[in-house]
Amino acid sequence: MMKKAMSIARYVLIYAFFILLALIVLYPIAFAIAGAFNKGKSLASMNVLPIPNNPTTDNFTRLFTTTNYISWYKNSLFIACVNTLLTTVIVLITAYIFSRFKFRFKKAAMVSFLILQMFPSAVGMIAIYIILNRLGLSDNFMGLILVYTAGNIPYNTWLLKGYFDTIPKSIDEAAKIDGAGNLTTFLKVILPNTLPMVAFLAVTSFTQPWMDFILPRFILRSDKNKTLAVGLFEMINGRSNDNFTMFAAGALLIAVPFVIIFAINQKYLVRIMSAGAVKE
Amino acid sequence: MTKKPSLAAPIGSALFMGLGHIAVLKQYVKGIIFAIFEIIVLINASKIVTAIKGLITLGEQKNHLPVAQRDNSTWMMLDGLIACVVLVIIIIVYVINVTDARRHGLKLEKSGEYQSTREFLNDLGEKAFAYTALSPAFVMISFFVVIPLVFAILLAFTNYSAPSHIPPNNTVDWVGLQTFKEMLQMKNYSQGFARTAVWTFEWALIGTLTCYFGGMFIALALNDKKIKIAGVFRTVFILPYAVPGMISLFIWAILLNGQFGPITRGLREIGVVDWLRSIGVLQKDAIPWLSETNLARVMLLVVNLWLGFPYFMLMITGIMTSMPQDVFEAATIDGANKSQQFRYITLPLLLYQTIPLMIMSFSYNMNNFGGVYFLTNGNPPDTITTQSFAGTTDTLITWMYKLTLEQRLYNRASVVALLLFIVVAPFAIYNFMQTKSFKEGEL
Repeated sequence: MMKKAMSIARYVLIYAFFILLALIVLYPIAFAIAGAFNKGKSLASMNVLPIPNNPTTDNFTRLFTTTNYISWYKNSLFIACVNTLLTTVIVLITAYIFSRFKFRFKKAAMVSFLILQMFPSAVGMIAIYIILNRLGLSDNFMGLILVYTAGNIPYNTWLLKGYFDTIPKSIDEAAKIDGAGNLTTFLKVILPNTLPMVAFLAVTSFTQPWMDFILPRFILRSDKNKTLAVGLFEMINGRSNDNFTMFAAGALLIAVPFVIIFAINQKYLVRIMSAGAVKE
Repeated sequence: MTKKPSLAAPIGSALFMGLGHIAVLKQYVKGIIFAIFEIIVLINASKIVTAIKGLITLGEQKNHLPVAQRDNSTWMMLDGLIACVVLVIIIIVYVINVTDARRHGLKLEKSGEYQSTREFLNDLGEKAFAYTALSPAFVMISFFVVIPLVFAILLAFTNYSAPSHIPPNNTVDWVGLQTFKEMLQMKNYSQGFARTAVWTFEWALIGTLTCYFGGMFIALALNDKKIKIAGVFRTVFILPYAVPGMISLFIWAILLNGQFGPITRGLREIGVVDWLRSIGVLQKDAIPWLSETNLARVMLLVVNLWLGFPYFMLMITGIMTSMPQDVFEAATIDGANKSQQFRYITLPLLLYQTIPLMIMSFSYNMNNFGGVYFLTNGNPPDTITTQSFAGTTDTLITWMYKLTLEQRLYNRASVVALLLFIVVAPFAIYNFMQTKSFKEGEL
């Protein structure tokens, strides 16, 4: 009897904890959603509970008409797409070569990749700015994309090379005996076997530019070239009380697609994340 | 001479690239390619020399010239670095040229047969594919990763800083260790550095540990078979990981607004704020969530936990589902209870598998910019901040950002970056040694 009561008490506690935690997790998100539909501009006009006052879509209208939100969104989308494409193609090729070919300095190159990926790109930002200036690519999307892609190569090459190595070499040797060239072997044999990893690579390089702040802030100086990260930061920085509801509307329009992308890729993500752990 | 091609060929190719290949080894195509390479190098030699000279001198101050025509030190530095990279490539090709001549010379001595052009082309085909395919990656990495890092290190030894050493108006000079000395001698900087470094370390360590064990605790609790709607809870708990981190940080900064934020207002409505004022904890009718050093630091870690626990929760859930079940069955038969099983089986297995990820997360946190900057902006400031610009919640990376973008003290920012290198490097090396490829000796 005593034991049973203890056990019930334990589960009541666990459920209580979970419910409390769920509330803590959900509150900021719910508050932002409520903010997006709240009538009134300021933070002070919000309820403490995440329920909008006189629900309205005014904030979205204001966002589209009084700020450059749409062009920021387009910029970020453009940068994200090109970055995904470039990163995926270059990393795929580089990792394939590292996995399947023997050449001089291969080992040295792999080690330097590993060391390079440890340093945050922000460390070299002054130099990056000067280099882009020198190349005439300052305040230019291509400049930013090149920096992103270059920064993505070392780590992702390691990741993908490790994955390619698990595909038996006998398969591509068989393809080569059948007369397939390097490119055909790669496209027809290797690529189909690594699609989950490629999807993961594509998703991570797609999400990167939406969140990054330092580089676009430094490189893209003109207002029309701003990315969402920089635009939203400036909307909210020091003026959180005036612009809150409009910011919330803008944030919602970014978060929704992300949660969807995440939900679709969740299974891959978990598998690939735990693949990073040490395996027996 | 001709009787010993293993000696004549490398000497010939050392004198002029490709000479040994053409004259001794009869490898005309290869020899001509090497020769053309050397000719191109010789034509551009003066450019390379000028660029490297520029790297050494960094230009002279020519105030009589219009700004556009003055020496631009940073560009000269960049050109010099690029020239160094080119020089390294030239040296590598030259060495390959000589060793290749030697190798083929030896082959010729042994077999007495010359390598045909066809053989060479076949050989080249395979290698050329590899090198051509790798070249975009290498060019991009050298330009946008390697050169910037070297550049950043070099800047620490210059006086590149506002207001009087900013190109193109003024030149920049090499000053050796002077920037280090200055920063060491200005009490504010050394204090600022010490405080920032210690806090960065604390932030990274506590941030990683709380997220790891928080995530683990929840993963374990959700793993209990008797929890009915575990799936629903899990989906809810993943949300902070799915929402872009920057957006969450902005929202948190707003929630924690000391005056108008909903958390403050909620506490005000239920009378907590008044009570805190009555016992003298608060002076004003606001809670300084992000504007009082200690509370701000705690809140940074709390928000970091909110953002970071789902990652470890997901990971540990994944690892636990793939754990061998027979071990647990055997343990149950041997009479081990739940907590013993956890203590002696689950925990060691989990720790073993996730320690590399913890290290990675630690080095990520060391460099986590948004987690601090978007919440507190490094504030609140104190007396140390006035000269060194390091706020009380600044980490090394946000401090560096401020020195660079807000103060334009590039040389000092580079000193901080250099010190950050030194702090991060051991973790980088440790992480490297943990990789499978390193352990198995195969790269």
